[in-house]
Amino acid sequence: MTENIYAPHLVTIEKIRNEAEGVKTFTLTFKDPVERESFNYRPGQFGEVTVFGAGEAPISITSSPVNKGYFELSVAGVGKVTQALHLKREGDIIGFRGPYGNGFPFDEVKSNDILFVAGGIGLAPLRSLINQMFSERNKFGKISILYGARYPALLCFRDDISRWAELKNSEVLLTVDTAPDNGWQNNIGVVGSLLPKINMNIENTTAFVCGPPIMIHFIILDLLKLGFKKDRIITTMERRMECGLGKCGHCNIGEKYVCLDGPVFSYQQLEELGENI
Amino acid sequence: MKKVLTTCEFCGCGCNFYLGVENNRVVAVYPCPSHPVSQGKLCIKGWRGHDYIHSPERLKTPLIRQGDKFREASWDESYKLIANKLQQIKEQHGSDSIAVFSSSKCTNEENYLLQKLARAAIGTNNIDQCARLCHSSTVIGLAQTFGSGAMTNSIPEIGNADVIFVIGSNTSEQHPLVANQIIKAVKGGAKLIIADPRQIQLTKIATIHLSHKVGTDVALINGMLNVIITEGLIDKKFISGRTEGFGALREEVAKFTPQKTSRITGVPAEQIIEAARIYATGKSSSIIYAMGITQHTTGVDNVMSCANLAMVTGNVGKESTGVNPLRGQNNVQGACDMGALPNVFPGYQAVANDELRQKFEKAWGVKLPSKPGATVTGAMNKFIDGSIKALYIMGENPMISDPDINHTEKALKKLDFLVVQDIFLTETAKLAHIVLPGVSFAEKDGTFTSTERKVQRVRKAIDPIGESRPDWKIITELSSHLGYKMAYPSPSEVMDEIAKLTPSYAGISYNRLEGGGLSWPCPSPDHPGTPYLHKEKFSRAGGQGKLFAIPYRPPVELPDANYPFTLTTGRVGFHWHTGTMTRKDWALNREIPEGFVEINPQDAAKVGIRNKATVKVSSRRGDISLQAKVVDTIQEGLVFIPFHFAEAAANKLTAANLDPVAEIPEYKVCAVKLERG
Amino acid sequence: MSEMKILDKTKLVEFLEKLMPDFEVTVPSYNNGNLSFSSMAHARPEIDFAGRPLVPPKEYFFPQQEEMFTFATKEGKATIKAHINKDKRVIWGIRPCDLYGIKTLDSVFLSRYVDSYYHARRENTILMGLNCNEPCEAGFCSSMGTGPFATNSNAFDLLFTNLGNQFLVEIGSKAGEELIERRANLFATASDEEKNKSNEIEKQCKQAFLYSVDQDRVKAALTKAWDDPLWAEESKNCILCGGCNFICPTCYCFNIEDIADEHEQNSTRVRYWDSCQLGGYTQMAAENTRKTQAERLRQRIYDKFSYVPARHNGAIGCTGCGRCTEVCPSEINITHILGILGRQK
Ligand SMILES: Cc1cc2nc3c(=O)[nH]c(=O)nc-3n(C[C@H](O)[C@H](O)[C@H](O)COP(=O)(O)OP(=O)(O)OC[C@H]3O[C@@H](n4cnc5c(N)ncnc54)[C@H](O)[C@@H]3O)c2cc1C
Ligand code: SF4
Ligand code: SF4
Ligand code: SF4
Ligand code: FES
Repeated sequence: MTENIYAPHLVTIEKIRNEAEGVKTFTLTFKDPVERESFNYRPGQFGEVTVFGAGEAPISITSSPVNKGYFELSVAGVGKVTQALHLKREGDIIGFRGPYGNGFPFDEVKSNDILFVAGGIGLAPLRSLINQMFSERNKFGKISILYGARYPALLCFRDDISRWAELKNSEVLLTVDTAPDNGWQNNIGVVGSLLPKINMNIENTTAFVCGPPIMIHFIILDLLKLGFKKDRIITTMERRMECGLGKCGHCNIGEKYVCLDGPVFSYQQLEELGENI
Repeated sequence: MKKVLTTCEFCGCGCNFYLGVENNRVVAVYPCPSHPVSQGKLCIKGWRGHDYIHSPERLKTPLIRQGDKFREASWDESYKLIANKLQQIKEQHGSDSIAVFSSSKCTNEENYLLQKLARAAIGTNNIDQCARLCHSSTVIGLAQTFGSGAMTNSIPEIGNADVIFVIGSNTSEQHPLVANQIIKAVKGGAKLIIADPRQIQLTKIATIHLSHKVGTDVALINGMLNVIITEGLIDKKFISGRTEGFGALREEVAKFTPQKTSRITGVPAEQIIEAARIYATGKSSSIIYAMGITQHTTGVDNVMSCANLAMVTGNVGKESTGVNPLRGQNNVQGACDMGALPNVFPGYQAVANDELRQKFEKAWGVKLPSKPGATVTGAMNKFIDGSIKALYIMGENPMISDPDINHTEKALKKLDFLVVQDIFLTETAKLAHIVLPGVSFAEKDGTFTSTERKVQRVRKAIDPIGESRPDWKIITELSSHLGYKMAYPSPSEVMDEIAKLTPSYAGISYNRLEGGGLSWPCPSPDHPGTPYLHKEKFSRAGGQGKLFAIPYRPPVELPDANYPFTLTTGRVGFHWHTGTMTRKDWALNREIPEGFVEINPQDAAKVGIRNKATVKVSSRRGDISLQAKVVDTIQEGLVFIPFHFAEAAANKLTAANLDPVAEIPEYKVCAVKLERG
Repeated sequence: MSEMKILDKTKLVEFLEKLMPDFEVTVPSYNNGNLSFSSMAHARPEIDFAGRPLVPPKEYFFPQQEEMFTFATKEGKATIKAHINKDKRVIWGIRPCDLYGIKTLDSVFLSRYVDSYYHARRENTILMGLNCNEPCEAGFCSSMGTGPFATNSNAFDLLFTNLGNQFLVEIGSKAGEELIERRANLFATASDEEKNKSNEIEKQCKQAFLYSVDQDRVKAALTKAWDDPLWAEESKNCILCGGCNFICPTCYCFNIEDIADEHEQNSTRVRYWDSCQLGGYTQMAAENTRKTQAERLRQRIYDKFSYVPARHNGAIGCTGCGRCTEVCPSEINITHILGILGRQK
């Protein structure tokens, strides 16, 4: 008997952290010890989370594969499943199947300078990669992280951000569209407005871009203008998903399925796929 | 898997399909290629809209109010309580202190039984249903002009018309399988005239689109008649041979020159002339209308204007012509046919007519009231003034569907006793003292009469959910508790009784319906049914059609400085009425999950509203907040809100301004203001 | 070519009845003038029918709605129960185009990650095809290479050809062969004459098609048709009913929903046929990635003629059955669209 590819595994919510306004981070462990030990993934991969009685939703894994025994998801409560998840408490049991998708290139970009550009909860999948890169810090060049949100309360992963800023040969710049209070010390403006503020050796830089579709769209235009080559711009695509396994048809862009062939694509690949992004 | 052929429970097109049943659950739908209207096609409601049948929210036992809550109760206890209470109110305040609302979602047999219960068991003509809110103006307007308040021609005939005039009907969304015939006709070369203040989907294939201001239909049609008469495009033979009243009509429409009409309606004079010419010169021109015509304080006038247009050009009584009101609900035609109306017995036989009343008294073995009863809209005021104390509702949700909901709520709360028979705990049922669980169309036998007057079978596919009971059974059991015995082994015997008392249904029986539907009039068991009416003579007394001179009256509540926009309400193709059924299905809900207001880009800019922003819409009666949908398919100054969504109920805004004759509310026009929400 | 048998027409019902103790035997039958697949337990098989049921047999492998799991949660414990259907079934009378449809579904559901639900149903079903003696009204299978006669590349266990008084029966698999062997007395060996007769029927049927589609030209046109005005023009009447997807023998899209019971402790995960013609199909929180009906119609045609073949080793995305045209309330006609594409330079 083949394994049922749609069957969720039971996971326990070990910890819940309020990440930002409307966003919670869940630390999860598999109930099955074998599964717990063998679970492995690449940054950029995702899984289907089940909240029993509510349904399933695709969520990126935000922890780094370096951390064994548990994994983390950061979830914005936007609808039926994600809001039901927000109502869960530590110790509750939910379902998870994955990891799915291709994940970010890692070995392929070793020795490069790395530029991360993220908006809002788009930092979640990148955080996984950033932490993995920092765990092998000497294999990468300069790491720059540009991160923005609509307003300060929507910025996620504040702890990680301060840690990253401390690490050598790295740079973190934050921005918000609007800052209602006076406590905001950083930039005001869209994420793209941070690009001129950093020094880059564009020839040797790979850019990872993640965020709302409109942001991705403009950042890619900016990067192309700066001289980035199409295959050095890496982004993730979001599509409505049901199965995560290339069966349900929902997530296609041209002949590719975002759940199988993505969600990570270079801009070059996306252009070849045709369908507007 | 068992496959059970049945009739769709949503719109008046009357599509047939098979329900696939496994383990007493409806798990599949199979279209029916042999059905002349559906032809193997369905809209998404037919394909996907039936999941509510197995919704966990279905009512499974009778409920009796206990303070703010309900407790589950037995049928017997509930019947006894209802019977006692109704009897008590009847003794204290008389039969007419009780009202009954029937349902155009329920079967013919159920409507027949419920009006019989009202008249024979309770002794009141206070029986009505939501046709009051959609097509009461049709029933009256077409009865006065033609003698029969229904679609004159059948749906498949539309596909062969060479001119189709659609006015006040968003056919693709509301009657998809009628739209199919229009599309076929246009592909075959027919001309299509559309009069609608919005660019509906069909305008993409229209020959001409008249974007008239809401509520100016009489003027528009008078203007067209003016052109037709001036240019000699009338059918003289038809007018002189088959109609009366042409002189007065000619005199009235003489005032409506294209220029004047243009000023009233906002439609360029050339377009009025062109549309008039196209309509009048078609060999067979068919008028199709829906609630855009009927839901006005001039609803009856609008309907009669359509009849004028058809008669003056001889476009009635022939194949592929006629005046074709598209009835909304699956069985609103049947509910009217069955006499769930305050002034008529089944078959539109007047309660005030002694001879007819005596026929029913003899058949039912009781004395019957002769005074016409209260309408749905009229009854609301009588709840408030206390002259009606008790209300029995079967399968309607006036808390969402009636105009001016705040008023409706106040009215329903004034009642001493409210019983609601439904499949869900609707907003209305929540106000009831006793709630009885009826069943869906999949759990009972019966018939629906589609908009083309076609009586078709509904067949039981699964057993009732929980302890719910078929609505026809509930009525008979309750009636017996009220001391008026009703005993029918099955709905088939109810139909036999209907046939005996209703000339237009006289030839209809379940046996015959096995071979497919029958369009009334079907006066005898060997009669094949009547696809189109008024062939040689009109069914009106005397056999002549009557032309009426109809002056133009503007809508009651027009925009002003405080409420500068006109609101028109309606439906969308993915949802049904108050959404109790369709909002439970993932596919329908995924298409349109929430209410919205359509606004023209110019207006949106003026008010400072972006697409998808929240807007507060208020009228003199209330306000709601909902999402803006900025579209250039709607006129400037006009906004549109669908009424399906309880949390953004359009009918909190609408006014209970009524047509003086039909008492239909003016859902299509009221004044509102818009603010950023 | 595998061995051919002859079955007297009068013996077909007997043959199928003999299978009933071991299988749910499913056959085309008429109900109120409409052909559909039904269980022989309560339907008489239609032996001499033309055309095909409007809803294809794909639902026996991929039902309109299918319970995948039930979940129970109680006091911090959760249990998951999968519902895999392993009923043994025989379907007789599947037309060649639909056999091809099943083959295409195989490439979707059985490739890379195997869909256990589809797999179990497919494993436990015997397919008995039936070649067509005449084309269906709106069909164009002959130009798609899927009919009117099945070839070895259609999926079947047994394949029947109506020769008038007999069926010529071709064996397509071991399972099919065994079924015949166990009822060998009903079958005779086919002669060359009978095989020739079958070839003759095939030839005549192929000549009778009203529609043909130039597949290669369509595929070539699609490489340039992305921004063509045809998508908007042809889709303008679409009312988003989903029917064209639902009845398509190769459409495989589904939606997954969890239905909670009243007390929300138990829930059922159900998958349903979905439709890429619906707006909500691609709706996400931030935006809809296909906003117009033109994009959605384009998706449907590209999926059939470009994406499916590309993803699944040249699998056939459209069998030419003509059902999507028949079921469309808006009279959107696939042969018409393919005709426009085929004529493009
Ligand atoms: C590969 C991938 C990775 C993702 N990673 C994250 C993440 O790390 N954190 C996070 O918060 N969100 C993430 N999302 C988005 C998340 O999946 C959706 O917000 C979620 O599915 C909404 O489900 P719901 O039941 O709560 O909302 P619903 O009630 O179903 O709907 C709310 C809104 O979300 C849209 N939506 C529904 N289903 C999906 C879906 N499957 N994909 C996208 N939009 C949908 C609906 O159209 C609607 O507008 C990711 C999506 C994808 C495709
Ligand atoms: S068109 Fe009307 S009757 Fe037909 S399936 Fe749709 S809702 Fe039902
Ligand atoms: S696309 Fe149409 S013609 Fe082709 S297989 Fe599907 S239903 Fe048949
Ligand atoms: S069948 Fe026709 S109307 Fe329905 S979704 Fe398909 S193309 Fe649109
Ligand atoms: S999510 Fe189902 S195919 Fe990609």
